[in-house]
Amino acid sequence: MTEMNAPPQPTIVELIKVSKNYPPDVIALADVSLTVETGEMFFLIGKSGAGKTTLLKLICNMETPSNGLIEVAGQNIHRLKGKKLARLRQKIGVAYQDFKLLTDRTVAENIAISMEVSYKKPPVISKRVKDLLAQLELSDKHDAITGELSRGEQQRVTLARAVANSPTLILVDEPTGNLDAATTEKVMNLLNKCKSSGATIIIATHDDSLYRHTDHRIMELCRGKIRRVNGGLQA
Amino acid sequence: MNFWFAVLRQMGRNLRQTWASQCMTLLTVSLSVLIFAFFYLIYTNMLNAGDKLGDDLRLIVYLQDEPGPEMQEQLRRKITDFDQVQEIKFISRAQAYERFAKQLGQNKDVLEDMPTDFLPPSIEVTPLKTLRSLNRVKLFSEYLSKLPVTLKVQYGQDWVERFFYFIRLLSIVVILSGSLLILTTVFMVAYTIRLTIMGRQAELELLRLVGATNDYIRTPFMLEGLMQGFFGSTFGLVSLYSLYQWIKIRFSGPGILYLFNFTFFTPDTIVLIIIASILLCTVGSYMSMQKFLRI
Ligand SMILES: Nc1ncnc2c1ncn2[C@@H]1O[C@H](COP(=O)(O)OP(=O)(O)OP(=O)(O)O)[C@@H](O)[C@H]1O
Ligand SMILES: [Mg+2]
Repeated sequence: MTEMNAPPQPTIVELIKVSKNYPPDVIALADVSLTVETGEMFFLIGKSGAGKTTLLKLICNMETPSNGLIEVAGQNIHRLKGKKLARLRQKIGVAYQDFKLLTDRTVAENIAISMEVSYKKPPVISKRVKDLLAQLELSDKHDAITGELSRGEQQRVTLARAVANSPTLILVDEPTGNLDAATTEKVMNLLNKCKSSGATIIIATHDDSLYRHTDHRIMELCRGKIRRVNGGLQA
Repeated sequence: MNFWFAVLRQMGRNLRQTWASQCMTLLTVSLSVLIFAFFYLIYTNMLNAGDKLGDDLRLIVYLQDEPGPEMQEQLRRKITDFDQVQEIKFISRAQAYERFAKQLGQNKDVLEDMPTDFLPPSIEVTPLKTLRSLNRVKLFSEYLSKLPVTLKVQYGQDWVERFFYFIRLLSIVVILSGSLLILTTVFMVAYTIRLTIMGRQAELELLRLVGATNDYIRTPFMLEGLMQGFFGSTFGLVSLYSLYQWIKIRFSGPGILYLFNFTFFTPDTIVLIIIASILLCTVGSYMSMQKFLRI
């Protein structure tokens, strides 16, 4: 908790010449360098298979880079171990492309997990869960078994879990793939709320409606390489 | 405080999900504790009995001639050469006669015509009351009978040997059932916890991703192992105690139990068995957990 709150660092994610190969010969990322500033909303775009998910997985230490350096909140996340790594991960909320929901648990239990590991009190947890579900129009699904929800609903549960613990860095992988325009707006409203309370947000997406009329930075990947980085409107 | 709340909540979930295999493990642990404790109880009681019998155990070496003081010294040295002993006592012809007369009591007039030196002189050797020297009693008697002045060596040959064979056999059984206890508890507990882990792989992976510490993930499982050990051993010992009581009531009065003065474990031993089981089970769950956390 302490490392990331005080003092606030200007850059939260720093990648220097990062490559990721999967055996035997898949080059998922090649020489990617990138700086994300604290409090920024950053978009990651590119065709399917370009390496967006891989990049997010490297940032949250689900995968280790084959080459290069990755720093999150000033720390080399792949050198961290044990308690320190755990504490840093509590401050990174990730909405996975494949959800990683516990399908035999209720929606509320799924969202609560990220808060339980940092020992939030049960009343605090249940209040936050209800609040998030209301914002994502899922209030009636509080006690539903997660495996029985539609994909669009599961997607929103994943997002709720990612932001529940008020992390300082939020990684979102394809948050609106299965959603209609109105629900997409709800999701973006929630993410913008997180941003205005100080969180840094990295979004990987195919959906250009998310960034078309904003001036957030966008990075386009193409076959593991950076194609271009620029301000939103010029895209 | 919050940590323990989280641990207990997690443990409750584990138990709810895998109670059937938990029960099986509990049963196995108690059964192996029961088997081990059963043999161990017999063993300790036999040892006690052996001690008591050992009290009366003494080797009597009949001598050809009354030894002079010098000879006594020599014999003493010869005897202690073989092994340390508790006591060596020389009985002269006259002392032997007196003792015999005393034993006869009122009938001692039968001795009137006899010479007072018709009984041979002897040495009474009381071995140390350790199991080791009791086990060597036969060797000892052979050694003594080879002394040049010895007429004959006497002790309760037959039963002493048989008894100590029995104790040795029993100690092997105790060691075997002890190993069985260790194997079953460690591996059964490790196995159930592996099952739980595999059934909840997705959840445990996710816990790690959202920043659960190793302690947060591990402690519920360790606690589970600890409980298995505690309840399993308590259950096993309680069953043994009931069995013991039942036998005692059933076969009360003068019998084999009466002879041996059969007793249950002391509280110390009970606590020791429980602690050992708890340790074993916790080690079992720790092993499983480490395997998982390293992946
Ligand atoms: N575990 C893996 N083993 C082997 N190859 C992999 C693995 N994960 C990803 N790849 C490969 O790496 C490349 C980049 O994959 P990635 O998932 O990052 O793409 P993406 O940009 O997220 O695509 P999408 O938009 O479809 O989600 C792909 O060619 C993919 O096949
Ligand atoms: Mg992807």
